[in-house]
Amino acid sequence: MTSFLATGPSLGGSRVGAWLAGLSLRSRILLISAEVVVMLALWQLVVGVFRWINPVFVPAPLSIFSGLGDILSSGAVAANAPASLQAWVVGFGLALVIAIPLGLLLGVSLPVDRIVGPIAWAIYATPSVAYQPLAKAWFGFGIGPVVFLVLVSAVFPIMFNLAAGIRTTNTSIISAAKVYGASKFRLYPAIYLPSTVPFLFAGLRQGVVLATIGMMVAELSGAAVGMGALIIRSTNTYQVGQAFAAIMLVVIFTISMVQVTTLVERWVAPWTRGAGK
Amino acid sequence: MTTETAQRRASTAPLISARGVTVKFDVARTGKQMIALSNIDLDVMEGECVTVLGPSGCGKTTFMNVVAGLVKPTSGSVFIDGDEVSGPGPDRAVVFQDYALLPWRTVFDNVRFGLEMQKKLSDGDWRDRVQNAIDMVGLSGFESSYPRELSGGMQQRVGLARAFVAEPRILLMDEPLGAVDALTREVMRDEIGKLIAQTGKTVLFITHSIEEAILLGDRIVVFKSKPGEIKEIITTGIEGMGSERNAQNDERFHELREHLWSVLANEAAAASK
Ligand SMILES: Nc1ncnc2c1ncn2[C@@H]1O[C@H](COP(=O)(O)OP(=O)(O)O)[C@@H](O)[C@H]1O
Ligand SMILES: [Mg+2]
Repeated sequence: MTSFLATGPSLGGSRVGAWLAGLSLRSRILLISAEVVVMLALWQLVVGVFRWINPVFVPAPLSIFSGLGDILSSGAVAANAPASLQAWVVGFGLALVIAIPLGLLLGVSLPVDRIVGPIAWAIYATPSVAYQPLAKAWFGFGIGPVVFLVLVSAVFPIMFNLAAGIRTTNTSIISAAKVYGASKFRLYPAIYLPSTVPFLFAGLRQGVVLATIGMMVAELSGAAVGMGALIIRSTNTYQVGQAFAAIMLVVIFTISMVQVTTLVERWVAPWTRGAGK
Repeated sequence: MTTETAQRRASTAPLISARGVTVKFDVARTGKQMIALSNIDLDVMEGECVTVLGPSGCGKTTFMNVVAGLVKPTSGSVFIDGDEVSGPGPDRAVVFQDYALLPWRTVFDNVRFGLEMQKKLSDGDWRDRVQNAIDMVGLSGFESSYPRELSGGMQQRVGLARAFVAEPRILLMDEPLGAVDALTREVMRDEIGKLIAQTGKTVLFITHSIEEAILLGDRIVVFKSKPGEIKEIITTGIEGMGSERNAQNDERFHELREHLWSVLANEAAAASK
């Protein structure tokens, strides 16, 4: 079927691909773990043992792990993570509240797309770093600028994906709906909305990643608390292991949120699950 | 069935009547108009199955869309039972070449779509009707599958069930087997023939397969392109809607096939100039 739901190139093409695609969940976890262990071992050798790279720039894995132990036990994570989490959640929540209705409107209405679209793209195309000084001027030094940067970073990918989903709704599905009696009004809940769901979730995944980037940009430029502040402080005191450990926590958080988004998608939109077995 | 049809044909006015249907599309690239259909006149009697045959791009889908009420003709009209078509209606159902199923709905929920939109879910027996339609097209057991879990042939069976359950007077089929693999195609062609015969629906069946056109049609309308016009209308006169195997010995079948081949070959040659 030539629908928008068609999956991309399958992994099962080559022999290695077929082997990878056929792995059970347990084997896949084992494989990824093995990969990580090998990578860490090489890294430890290169930096920790042979010292080919100065550990002040890139710390060895073991010093990152001890750094992780330090920031966990010293209470640095407990002191900084909640502020970041709060800003992230509030900013992302606001992004959802703004992006979903605007995205729908943008997708549905050509005039809105023509008027609001260019402005929105212009803001989206501006690197979020550029808003940082403004955000500080507008929102002071607390959580405000961080929330703002999370919001600005996440809102557009969600909005534009949603709008694109509506505009690319399969035309023969629309014809079918009309043939079987859908009024123009019923087309929205019955056809446009469900067919845009996979696009919405693609946008959400991008939004999650960009939200974290926005958060880091705001926190790295002089926030008093937050994971970004912790990273800056650790680096300034040459505790690069701790800085990398803090970065690692942020990455783990972001990947987890992407996974949560995918889980929600599977629950909300079970029809997208698995390639056409 | 054919004699019955013939009697009905003699006694009633046409169920579908196209008069001077012309469709022009604006071509954005050149700023000109292209004539997709020019002055089509066609009558289809109740209970008749008319197949429409023609090279690709000759306006078959456009014609069907006009009858379905999805495309408004630039001039001319289509009448259903004497009433001018102004949009889609419950008297017509369409089977689409690309199935046009809703990917987020299971087989069962796809089939019930028409009843839902026409607010017929308050009818006490709607579940039975949906189930019957699913059984009729041979999809029992797949009620809770999603379209992407089904083969092309099976997806089109869902499309057929969705059309039949709406209980239209007219079935419009736009190359329903065009995207189905060759073997399934023959099997389903015969099944569709039987379903049409059983239900006695009035059918407009678009195809580019000569065999399908002959075996399913009471009459064959041959389209030509540039502009889309009716080249000729042939009454098949083959008894019943049998399978090709039965018809293979039929002299008339061979005669028609040879004739249509030469007509289409000329058309294709003309179109590619
Ligand atoms: N919505 C449209 N806008 C512009 N041109 C169209 C449109 N629909 C069909 N056409 C053109 O009209 C001609 C007939 O198309 P179609 O009815 O789909 O042919 P067929 O179904 O016989 O292959 C083609 O040249 C096609 O490009
Ligand atoms: Mg066509």
